[in-house]
Amino acid sequence: MRTGRPLIAAAFAVAVAGFAAAPVAAAQGGLEVYPATATPGSTVSVDTTACGAQGTAAGDASAVGAGAFTLAPEADSPDAAGRFAVPASAQPGTYEIVARCSGGTEVTGDLIVSLGVAGAPGAQMPKGHVKTGVGGALGPDPVQTAAGVAALAVAAAGGTWLLHRRARGDGI
Amino acid sequence: MRVRKRAGNPVNAVIGIVTALALCAGAWLLASGSEGHPPPQPSAAQARAGGGHEAPAAASLAPSPPDRIRIPSIRVDAPLTGLGLTRSGSLDVPPPERKNLAGWYEAGTTPGETGTAVVAGHVDNAVGPAVFYDLGALTRGRTIEVDRRDGSVAVFTVDSVEVYDAKSFPDEKVYGAAARPELRVITCGGPYSRRTGYQGNVVVFAHLTGSR
Repeated sequence: MRTGRPLIAAAFAVAVAGFAAAPVAAAQGGLEVYPATATPGSTVSVDTTACGAQGTAAGDASAVGAGAFTLAPEADSPDAAGRFAVPASAQPGTYEIVARCSGGTEVTGDLIVSLGVAGAPGAQMPKGHVKTGVGGALGPDPVQTAAGVAALAVAAAGGTWLLHRRARGDGI
Repeated sequence: MRVRKRAGNPVNAVIGIVTALALCAGAWLLASGSEGHPPPQPSAAQARAGGGHEAPAAASLAPSPPDRIRIPSIRVDAPLTGLGLTRSGSLDVPPPERKNLAGWYEAGTTPGETGTAVVAGHVDNAVGPAVFYDLGALTRGRTIEVDRRDGSVAVFTVDSVEVYDAKSFPDEKVYGAAARPELRVITCGGPYSRRTGYQGNVVVFAHLTGSR
């Protein structure tokens, strides 16, 4: 019974969100919720590319009882991002988080509230190494490659100029 | 005619020099850029020292979630997201496509309170270097600042920078409990192979030495 209420609330939120989004063009991407599974009292980040570069959005986490929040453009990325705190009183369940871009596009993402991980004192200790790299830094550096191409273009222009002067007999 | 020729010479010489320099620079940039650069790795001198000449520990702070991490000496200034555990029990990682995002283990200790707080971030993603690319170049005695939700800034001092192989990762040393406020900052490191990726982690050990 206890877990039933948030599920009904979530289902209702989905229905409302679905109804509200119906006339709007289908959003690309969606709303990324991170972490997708969170504990009561923790902070959740959301992120979307649907609002375009420099786009802002109004976030709505009232399904989980966290209310409204703002998604602001992220530096060096085409994303709008925001965060909200899951209330300490939140019950386990799946909740719909909604973001409405200033342009009218609406995106949604799921947040699962779980009591699975305890708070700091008795928290489970992570184990093993962390997978924080794929080797992308070992490939060609696009900035350096572009700089190299630009430098060669300057050299080509200079060379052409000198040949031109020489052909005119201006002397080198 | 002679006068015009003399006036033209310095201009041509300058253009000639610029052309030659641009040619050399372009060739060098293209040649070295196509190789890519492996991330810096800590030297043995940064490993845990036997004798203690560490900065004195500061009193612990009340628990408060962190919002941002700054490591001025390697130009890191990044927002922090909460991290959980994967199914296998290892620390989860931030979404790799957001290259300047780091994360902290939010079920654990918050940075500044007594215990071991854990921060992790990518050394690179599919496109290139990411938030902790230069972590292996961090040295002992440098500071790490963490902005906390309660408005305070926890200041940590680096005790050591280590590289651990994934096959023999010292869980207790890295994640285990501590009697004072400590911080671990983790990214990928060690040898890289195209088949298995990075074979270990760079781990920065630091302890709280101040706040503001």
